[in-house]
Amino acid sequence: MQVETLAIAASGDEIRRASEWLTTALRQRDVPDPQVECLELALHEVLANVLDHGGSAARAEPIRIRMEVREMATTGEARVKVRDAGIPFDPTGAPERIPAKTLAEAQPGGLGLRLIRRCSDWMSYRREGGRNHFTFGARWPKP
Amino acid sequence: MFISHTDLGDDLRKIVILGRLDISGTESVAGELERLAAAPKKGVVVDLSSLKFLASIGIRALFKSAKAVKERGGKMVLVVGTNSSVVMSLEATGVNTLIPMFKSEAEAERAAVA
Repeated sequence: MQVETLAIAASGDEIRRASEWLTTALRQRDVPDPQVECLELALHEVLANVLDHGGSAARAEPIRIRMEVREMATTGEARVKVRDAGIPFDPTGAPERIPAKTLAEAQPGGLGLRLIRRCSDWMSYRREGGRNHFTFGARWPKP
Repeated sequence: MFISHTDLGDDLRKIVILGRLDISGTESVAGELERLAAAPKKGVVVDLSSLKFLASIGIRALFKSAKAVKERGGKMVLVVGTNSSVVMSLEATGVNTLIPMFKSEAEAERAAVA
């Protein structure tokens, strides 16, 4: 298993740094492009949620990110763990808004959660030690 | 981030966005996108075919402009070319069903003024 970690502050520029870090780390380990794009997008949305809804506690401490890539016999797997000290939020259990049918009734919220779910092959969440621990990941068949 | 526009006759405005529509990128171009889309043109084509990254905050900015264009009786459409990551963001959120999305510029221009 290959592991890299990063700690960032809760800000837009730092979230971009985390996205670029993850993309580089995954590409260096030959993770396929579709999975790289999905995991980068999911990470951005997870971190944006922390920034927007995590409250002052989320901004007071670094957000810690851990990336793991594993190679099994027939599949590859990448997982991303995000730990933050913000307000408790479980993306695996939060209700998803029903998509609007017309532009007029479309509401701006809920898109990030939808992206996280569509871009992850699995997700898990736990609250421990006063922190959110959210993990998501992707799998792909090996050639 | 880079945003530019070209007016194609009296009815059509084309807006091109380059770079990343993440939090920082969207904050830097959202106001300009809104201003450019507010022009009294029948159709607005937003070209995302060379965009590197489209997050939910960028999609919200596109929503806002598309709604404003519709409210004044116009139509906003998107050009995505073969940009797989942008298509993935739009399809995953279902936005492609609310703001028409085209691979080709010519198709998008026709649809925007139809």
